[in-house]
Amino acid sequence: MDIQNTQSQMRKGVLEFCILSVIKKGEVYPSDIVVKMKDAKLHILEGTLYPLLTRLKNAGLLTYRWVESNSGPPRKYFVMTEEGYAFYEELEKTWKELADAVYAITNEESPLNTQN
Amino acid sequence: MKKVININFQGRVTPIEENAYDILKQYINSLTKYFANEEGKEEIINDIEGRIGELFAETLKKGNACISDDDINRIIDSMGRPEDFEADELNIQSQLGTAEKEGNEQQKTTFTENNYTTYNASKKLFRDENSKILGGVCSGLANYFGLDPLVVRILALILLFSFGIGFIPYIIIWVAVPSSATQIIGSRRKRLFRDGDDKIIAGVASGLGHYFGINVWIPRALFLIPFFSFVFKWGNVGMWDYPSFLKFSFSPGTLIAYIILWLVLPEAKTSADKLEMKGEKVDFNSIKETIQGDLKTFSKKAENWGNNITEKSKEWSDNVTQKTQDWSNKTQEPMSAATNNVKATTTNYTDQINRNVQRTSRGLGDIIALIFKIIAYFIIGSILLSLVAGLFSLGIFFTGLLPLKSYVLRSGWQDAMAWGTLILFIWVPVIGVITFIIRRITKAKANSNVIRWGFSALWVLGWFCLISFITVVYKDFKYKNNINEENIVLSNPLVNKLEVNTAPLNNYYNNSIFNIESFASIEEDSAYVRNIWVRIIKSNSDSFQVTLTRQAQGYNKKEASELANKIVFDITQRDSVLQLSKGVNINNIDKFRNQRVIVTIAVPVGKKFIVSHKANFGRYRGDRIHIGFDDRDWDYDNLEDGSYKYDSDREYIMTANKGVVPTNYVIKDGKYDYDSEENEEDNTQEALENFKKSKQDLQNEIDEKKRLLEKQQQELEEKQKELNKTIDTIGRYKYKAAIPKVDISKKAMVKEVNLGIYYSESLLNRLVI
Repeated sequence: MDIQNTQSQMRKGVLEFCILSVIKKGEVYPSDIVVKMKDAKLHILEGTLYPLLTRLKNAGLLTYRWVESNSGPPRKYFVMTEEGYAFYEELEKTWKELADAVYAITNEESPLNTQN
Repeated sequence: MKKVININFQGRVTPIEENAYDILKQYINSLTKYFANEEGKEEIINDIEGRIGELFAETLKKGNACISDDDINRIIDSMGRPEDFEADELNIQSQLGTAEKEGNEQQKTTFTENNYTTYNASKKLFRDENSKILGGVCSGLANYFGLDPLVVRILALILLFSFGIGFIPYIIIWVAVPSSATQIIGSRRKRLFRDGDDKIIAGVASGLGHYFGINVWIPRALFLIPFFSFVFKWGNVGMWDYPSFLKFSFSPGTLIAYIILWLVLPEAKTSADKLEMKGEKVDFNSIKETIQGDLKTFSKKAENWGNNITEKSKEWSDNVTQKTQDWSNKTQEPMSAATNNVKATTTNYTDQINRNVQRTSRGLGDIIALIFKIIAYFIIGSILLSLVAGLFSLGIFFTGLLPLKSYVLRSGWQDAMAWGTLILFIWVPVIGVITFIIRRITKAKANSNVIRWGFSALWVLGWFCLISFITVVYKDFKYKNNINEENIVLSNPLVNKLEVNTAPLNNYYNNSIFNIESFASIEEDSAYVRNIWVRIIKSNSDSFQVTLTRQAQGYNKKEASELANKIVFDITQRDSVLQLSKGVNINNIDKFRNQRVIVTIAVPVGKKFIVSHKANFGRYRGDRIHIGFDDRDWDYDNLEDGSYKYDSDREYIMTANKGVVPTNYVIKDGKYDYDSEENEEDNTQEALENFKKSKQDLQNEIDEKKRLLEKQQQELEEKQKELNKTIDTIGRYKYKAAIPKVDISKKAMVKEVNLGIYYSESLLNRLVI
């Protein structure tokens, strides 16, 4: 069993959720997402982020607007659509359930201990 | 010093170093390939480009004049390389070409086509990840040469099993050649290139050096070692051993390896190539990783194959049972349907076969062309090498002649032309070639034209020297002398036999390197030339008569005659030995103008003569002393015996009618001995006798063996008889044992009968009594 593979699979699942939660808080520029996630010790490459955003946008969960920039080409700012909110809430629900379940399972005391 | 170019990137003019531009381009290309199957790939790439453009602007804002290599690498690192991207596992695998068969078929085929075009466009050697079995080496090579991978695989297997060497190149290519996946993802793995900037021939060695991070001269030395052994192999440079000098023995192995690498490896042309060439360090770990990864997929595949095979065999067996059932049904179906079916399948098969044949023939044609190329390179290389070597040995040979120059050439024009020929005609090309090689090695580029033209001009001058040298020397040999004959008074002309001998000479060169026949001896200021002919004629009287004829050449008749007169040649007789001088004397002043002497010996009828060779004449028999009238250079009126050439060291007798006839004696190793031919005959007779004797022996042996065999046969027969006997007795015992009752009853019967008789007898007796 490849540990790296399992780890990246775990990360992948929550990556979309995290990105959406950042965008939910307001209009955001992709590299800001990277910074925010980095602050939370969740590293993501921009090369990974852009395709993900495009996919979410194509799914109708996100939309963007062009903003002129004084340093370089115009920037794409992403914002969440109504569908996106709904999607996010679904994900949040699932996440909470999952997190509780995982917490419950991983922190469950062994049957021997509960008897004491 | 780096070149900076301006590019229009995301609508902005950006100054960027050329190298950095190449890297950027490559990165974008790798992204394009990576996202080739992604929906909205243009948008993704545009977004990424936009972000890169922003980072460029930031870099330039900081005060950098342009985007450098470091900047671009830093930016790419922050954006991430495709292989670092986290995407769907399936997506990555399909990009790598390692997707499971169940994966999206369509996606895979489009990818393969895409991949194929990139191969054709760039013609770079990659290990083919799409159709690999172990490391993808064979399919990669096949892709590169446009062959069917099957052909290459079969060749590789043949190589492996017939020579056992196929595996080593396989491993080398496996490790050194990047996988096609690296091309797709555009990783910065190190790649094997030919280095065009640091080349002597084609940059193969320097490319290898860069790849393994070692000094360029190490692979070079490895390639050159066999050539060194060739160079150090020359033993004899002498004129007469010249052909053996050409028998050079160097292994063509590295040459062929070099040429193959030359053909196969791409040259690092763009700066991105060069970066890749010197790229990240290839250490043991990276090699191990490559091979381990490939082996893992291979074991998986092998497992799959195993499963497939079991499944297929099951299917097959099911099919067979079904088919046999069908068959019985089908046989009852109308014949026309069956024939149609057969026709269809056969046409199908022939089509397939045709296609296969076309493919293979194209592949074979390529291979043959490649082999011819290799052979042609090899032959050209060999010819060049032997030419240089031959020229060199010629140079040494003529330089070795220098000490003798003064005996032949007049000072002044002749001398100058001789020097000119030696230096300009012979040594200039040798030095030119050596210079060329050295310049290739040191990569000197300055004044190459000047040097080339200089050498060419000098060589042309050398030709001029050679031609004028030949003409001026020829002039000096143009005329021959007047007849100059002298009768030699013999002290004892009535001997029965005359043995002709010459005084031994001190060899100027006694090794085999310089063996210049005509100038066999030099003493002080005069040299002795073995220019002696011996001529045998029939004597009119009953005594030996000897005549000495002196000859010479010169630029006019007078000079030639003078030179002939100056010849000092002693002929003395002691008992039966006629001792001649060791050679014709020449000196620095008079020069060599083909002075020679002809010793004419008139032999009376019934008397014998022999021309000895024992006095150090050199290696070859019959070349120095010319007995009889060898037509060579013989411009005197021919005498009656014509131009028969006699053997030296063989005794001859002068006969009245048949002229000179050999006797049975020869001188062999200084001893008077039987004729060797006669000996040979004796030998054959002896051999015949031996043969006969051995045959007799063989016959005796055969007889003996036959007798022995008969004896043994007899013994065998006796033993057989004995064996039969024993078998009989056993049978009897058995018989006895098996039916003892019968026997008993018989006996009883007999007894009874006997008893009966007895009784009857007694009865009779009684009756009688």
